[in-house]
Amino acid sequence: MDPYEIEFIGENRIVSIIPNFSHDKIFLICGEFGPFRAGLPMNVPLWLGVMLKQKQKCRIVAPDWMDIEVLENIKEEEKKSRFFTKMPNEHYMVEAKLILGTAAEDIPRASEIKTIIKDIWDIRMSKLRTSMDALMKTGGSYGRLDHLTMMEINSVKPLLPEAMNELHRIKMNARKTMPSSLNTTVSQPGSSQITPLDAPLDSALLDSARLNSGAPKNDISTARFAAVRQSCTNRYYIVIPVF
Amino acid sequence: MEFDNIEISDEEEEITAQTVLKTLQNAWQNERLAPEILPHQNEMVECMLGQIQHMERNINKLPKTDLRASIHKMELNRIKFIICNYLKTRLDKIEKYCISILNDEKQRLESGTNYLTPSEYKYAQEYLINMESHLKEVALDHVPGNMQSFDLNKLVIYPYLQAHVFLKANETVTGIILEDLGGDQDEEIDLEENSQHILQYKPIADLLKSGKVQLM
Repeated sequence: MDPYEIEFIGENRIVSIIPNFSHDKIFLICGEFGPFRAGLPMNVPLWLGVMLKQKQKCRIVAPDWMDIEVLENIKEEEKKSRFFTKMPNEHYMVEAKLILGTAAEDIPRASEIKTIIKDIWDIRMSKLRTSMDALMKTGGSYGRLDHLTMMEINSVKPLLPEAMNELHRIKMNARKTMPSSLNTTVSQPGSSQITPLDAPLDSALLDSARLNSGAPKNDISTARFAAVRQSCTNRYYIVIPVF
Repeated sequence: MEFDNIEISDEEEEITAQTVLKTLQNAWQNERLAPEILPHQNEMVECMLGQIQHMERNINKLPKTDLRASIHKMELNRIKFIICNYLKTRLDKIEKYCISILNDEKQRLESGTNYLTPSEYKYAQEYLINMESHLKEVALDHVPGNMQSFDLNKLVIYPYLQAHVFLKANETVTGIILEDLGGDQDEEIDLEENSQHILQYKPIADLLKSGKVQLM
């Protein structure tokens, strides 16, 4: 999915605004909101908040987590922990980008907050790359990704799933060729898709995957992410949303 | 303006517009991310389209400057985007995997568990006929007679069900078997509620269709 689609999904989150006008309740398909009372905080979906802000009809109230102290704590936690910590918000990056983009003046210390969120994102992304590398090196076809947000997951698409698909294809080919290489008398009439050149390559790859699988499977935060990335640079890239 | 309660006539089941929207959004997300075509959500789409028409008529009665009008319009545009993108994604899949979808669908029609809506099914059939006659007109009719034989089965494209996908478990599911190709030991895993995973599509395809997991 495109990052803008993730943003679209994130825009359904509820935020608090302070309108500068009064209006009765409105009945939207996604729920009822209001009544709007000038000066009193109320909840609306993010897309509506942003829209009203652009029309200069409200101020956006900073979400609880959009606070220097809270974010500093999250950042420290994230640095200390080997695993991903739970983010205060499933769409923290989308919310930060939209709120700080349209309503920076409503958020106290907006530019510092922007920097910390970017730092947290960077720490998490580097952790994610390390885990992906470890996962690929153990030849795993399964990984658990608790607490990763949608935007973060989306940023490693299509690289990670495609790499795992590729690994799966290599294993499939290796499994097909293995029995025949053990038993040399069996010829393979009609199996045109596997050339003799492929066989040693595949089993070599598989061997290296096995050598590395000495590490336990869930220990996914040790190795670097060089090999996969280099071999794929020409085809894949990682999209990082820009403020 | 009160639009909260709507009815689905053939099932006599009352659901709120909010639930319909949520279902549609999930269906859209899953359809975007799944390698194969998923069972259709035609009732939900029709229901929402009816709701949109109804809303649009009401909006037109409002004065142009009314704030409500622009808010409602924006919401409708968002919902229309979801529906359009959802239907387009399905059509893309139908065009891409046309032959294999039609083959599977014929079996599913017999058991009454069709994945395509009647109009999607018609579209798929017509697409296949058009493609066939196009290939004949453009190429086959111009080659020597003994080379004009045409085997549709050679054109079949299958969705890659071994593809790895990201998912979130909506409820706890135990005992999913992951085939281990390297060794001979198959692995069994449990998905706890709200946990997130990356794994092959095939073992969880049925869980996705029954709504126990959600792709992300």
